[in-house]
Amino acid sequence: MALTVTSLRTVTQYLSFIVFMYGGRFGVKLGSAIPCFACPYVRGCGGQCYLMGLQGVFGVGMSFEAMRGAPLAAALGWLLVFIILVAALGKTWCGWLCPFGLFQDWFSLLRRKLGVRERILTEKTKRALAPIKYILLAYLLVLPPLVTAKILHQDFNLPFCNICPGKSLLPLFEGNPQYLALNLSNAVTLTFSALLLIVTGVMLIGIFFKDRFFCVFCPLLALIHLAKPLTFLRLSKNVDVCTGCGNCRRVCIMDIAEVSAERGGPDVQTGECLDCARCAESCTANGALSLKWLRFNLFSSSRLYASRNLSRNTAGASKNAGSAGKS
Amino acid sequence: MNAQNQRETERLQKTGVRVQNEISRELEALRGRPDHMPGYDYFIDLLAGGIRPDVLEKRAGKPALNLLCVQAPLELIHAAGFLPFKIFSGSYAADALGADGRLPALTCPMLRAVRGIFRLNDSFSGRPWVLPTTCDWIVNLPRMLRMDNPQFAKWFHWLELPHLKDGDAARERWLAEVFGLKKFLEKTTGVKIDRKRLAASVAVYGRAWEALTRLEERRRAGAVPFVWFLIIANSFFLDAPEQWTNAVNALLPALRGNENKNRVFFAGSPVFFPNFKIPLLLEEAGLTVTGDDLCSSGRVFPGGINAEASSEYEMVAVLAGRYHEGCLCPTFADNDRRINSILGDAGNFEGVVFHVLKGCHPYDMESCLLEEPITRRGLKFLRLETDYTAEDGRNLLTRIEAFGQTL
Ligand code: SF4
Ligand code: SF4
Repeated sequence: MALTVTSLRTVTQYLSFIVFMYGGRFGVKLGSAIPCFACPYVRGCGGQCYLMGLQGVFGVGMSFEAMRGAPLAAALGWLLVFIILVAALGKTWCGWLCPFGLFQDWFSLLRRKLGVRERILTEKTKRALAPIKYILLAYLLVLPPLVTAKILHQDFNLPFCNICPGKSLLPLFEGNPQYLALNLSNAVTLTFSALLLIVTGVMLIGIFFKDRFFCVFCPLLALIHLAKPLTFLRLSKNVDVCTGCGNCRRVCIMDIAEVSAERGGPDVQTGECLDCARCAESCTANGALSLKWLRFNLFSSSRLYASRNLSRNTAGASKNAGSAGKS
Repeated sequence: MNAQNQRETERLQKTGVRVQNEISRELEALRGRPDHMPGYDYFIDLLAGGIRPDVLEKRAGKPALNLLCVQAPLELIHAAGFLPFKIFSGSYAADALGADGRLPALTCPMLRAVRGIFRLNDSFSGRPWVLPTTCDWIVNLPRMLRMDNPQFAKWFHWLELPHLKDGDAARERWLAEVFGLKKFLEKTTGVKIDRKRLAASVAVYGRAWEALTRLEERRRAGAVPFVWFLIIANSFFLDAPEQWTNAVNALLPALRGNENKNRVFFAGSPVFFPNFKIPLLLEEAGLTVTGDDLCSSGRVFPGGINAEASSEYEMVAVLAGRYHEGCLCPTFADNDRRINSILGDAGNFEGVVFHVLKGCHPYDMESCLLEEPITRRGLKFLRLETDYTAEDGRNLLTRIEAFGQTL
């Protein structure tokens, strides 16, 4: 395997998967403010998704009075940790580190292997779906205090986790299918568990037909994006060099049009961007797209790099299609 | 045979000899150059065979498909079992032959020369043709050729090129055109172009593009004189792409950098063998060409195809996108980012030489549009308008030398 951005990213994804899914078994405990789906429902996980931490600030048995003091300080502490982690690594949490991201990528691989066509969302559909992740973010921020205030039943606790496909699917990797069953305790749990089953089913179909389909809706992506002014990592474009060939848009796992269409300025890191850098990797204009950390250039597009990389990829794709054709 | 016919036959024979002489003279001169290297001989031999699809067929053992311009996806044609054969000619004798009759005085010399070589041998007929609707000359070419041979293309296919690149509507129309081409190819050959075939062809051209890019890198370092670069790029369509790639890769290690003086970027109308008048004059005036984006040279094929894409549909879509949006041809209406292919390389040269073939309106127009932004960047700009004749050589040289002194 040649050293490329993609090969580096793939290795990172697998390492991260191991750490976040199984790290706890080896004593790795990275805290409760992880900006990716390090799902706490996975027994022995190596860290905890910040969405749970964020919802869990409030919740069952809590009262607003009791929260003052230590619990509040702890919550603010985790928020600070979250901000630092996001500032340092930006959306590489999504593109490089998220275990559920890798899980989705397996479905893309399978689709490719089978030669099934990816269903690309039209610009109109994308625009229509884009607010959903912010709505989900609002949902997971608003409901927990209502539980604390006893306006909502206590089973409304952790409202996003209750419908998150990470909860139903990731525990399967430690042999736990428990969250794929209906919870018959009461009407609320039944509704949530039924909803989770439906969401899971829709997502499984979605991620097979469209790369990173779940990311389109992910409230954590929305949250990280809100923190963008604080982050050090930037995907930036030199608009005086770009010839508009569209390679970047065509390889983008989120099918972001702006990355090729942008003519005004360097900021091409949109709300959907996952900092995966695939665009920069396949751009054929020297220095048109760069991934930067503060002032440091991590990677800049180059014609020579692209030619080598694409030639390797296509040779690989040819072999793949060949063997699939034979079998 | 009546007298007129006989005169015509004699004339064609004489012109044929003249074209061959032009080619031989040029190749002889190339072989005798002090910077000639054995690695170049492979490409010289390709050109020595003449610009004929039947020669390509014999050499590569596959049927050829006639083509002009750079927008028809080569990978698709290759996947159907054809070798794409881009018709071109820089021959003055062919130009003169093609010029007679009812054509406008200021017809593009390239098109006239194509008509000329078309009249000289019938190997272009009886093979499929694919033409993208680029400039006004190209769209009239088939009717022009039918004046000489009403039967000229049994299988002919137009590829209607949307002159807008941006936006979903244009992209969709072009994609439909490319699928239309796929159908045409499948019908012509009986071969179903599936993803396996496509992936194999994409890989072939991917390797070719890597070789071309490396060659460009060497040229940027001053290791490949423009004339040799043109020889290699021009011969791309005279060979099976795999063999051409091997020959370029074999040549690369031998290319050593030189100290570059008076570095220029070369843009504008294409330069075709054997008419290397301008490149040779630039050399004589002491200019080094460190980059070009001619459709006969640096852009001889677009490359840069990412076909990790899995399905047949996606592969065709990726090809279509790259050949359309990635094309810098001045026949596009929304071509404003075209300038970036020159300015993006600005660190590697001090001036831009813009070549306009008399009668090539799109590049003529473009030269007016590009001069201002180029000079605004502090780069020198020289527009050279010429044709296939040799007469203006001294004049041009004086201008080029004066330009060289400003660098
Ligand atoms: S814009 Fe680039 S970095 Fe962002 S998701 Fe798309 S390919 Fe990845
Ligand atoms: S791949 Fe590079 S040159 Fe092409 S549109 Fe994107 S940024 Fe521009």
